[in-house]
Amino acid sequence: MTTPHNDPGPSPDAVDDEPIDPAAALALIQQQNADVARQQLSGIPWILGVWGVAWGVGFLALWSGYEGGNPWFLLPLPVAGTIFGVLLVSAIVTSAVLGIRISRGVRGASGFSGAVYGFGWWAGSIAVYLLGIAFAREGASAELLSLYYPAAYGLVAGLLYFMGAALWRSVDQLVLGVIIIVASVVAPFFGAPTNNLVMALLGGGSFLVAGLVMHLNLRRGRRA
Amino acid sequence: MTELDPVIHAAARLRISATLASLEEGDRITFPRLQELLDMTAGNLSTHLRKLEDAEYVVVDKAHKGRTPVTYVALTRRGRRAFEDYTDTLRSLLGDNA
Repeated sequence: MTTPHNDPGPSPDAVDDEPIDPAAALALIQQQNADVARQQLSGIPWILGVWGVAWGVGFLALWSGYEGGNPWFLLPLPVAGTIFGVLLVSAIVTSAVLGIRISRGVRGASGFSGAVYGFGWWAGSIAVYLLGIAFAREGASAELLSLYYPAAYGLVAGLLYFMGAALWRSVDQLVLGVIIIVASVVAPFFGAPTNNLVMALLGGGSFLVAGLVMHLNLRRGRRA
Repeated sequence: MTELDPVIHAAARLRISATLASLEEGDRITFPRLQELLDMTAGNLSTHLRKLEDAEYVVVDKAHKGRTPVTYVALTRRGRRAFEDYTDTLRSLLGDNA
């Protein structure tokens, strides 16, 4: 046995090799799973937050761009449209960057699923845009198009959250997908420009709530 | 059977196995990213990976991305099964039938 004065202390490997009791081992597994989830998913609340701001502020801007919308002030429509466009593009760029960070260092089978999912966003968005052009050519009014675009994009986004829920077995995403689809379908029934207010509050609001809930869940995992 | 697999039953290798098991089957992870997720030194991680590799629980392969060598780590099918058996044994030892 070593005497206290010449005991160099256990080496890190020796500590790691020490047998642990079953309860501690199970706790260690749960702790490590929570740590990994927190490190991998910590970007998602930010993605949701960015989308919440983009939808919330962006659709409020659009709502303020039409007569009969915002009762407090009227924005020139090009200004409102620019605000909406800039916010939307920033949200797309931010979520692409953060999304790529989530899976960094991992290669293999799940790469295909992730790529298909990412491609789904582009395919859906471009399809909505092209359909809008076709409707406009066939004489759809500006007012009708202002109902069509948010609803169609919302439908695409909602279904992609369904896809995300299936891929990553995430109930959070499923709930978000349901709310986004409901918002998209309900909004046009309010007519233009009130549809934008519905998208801002119901759509933008639920992104923000979802981001907050997920952020809190990840923090709780760290302490568990 | 209530014998805990000694290859996995050590804090460091338990954490490594849990992290690798959290990947989708068929996925592999780079050594630096794994090190980051575990917050372990490279030397310590290598030592324990070698023990897991010796038991054929883990496969470590070196690829090249341009000129930089990249080391990928993944659980083998045997390793994934061993980790699942290990957690089942833990639960039964703890009287958890869930």
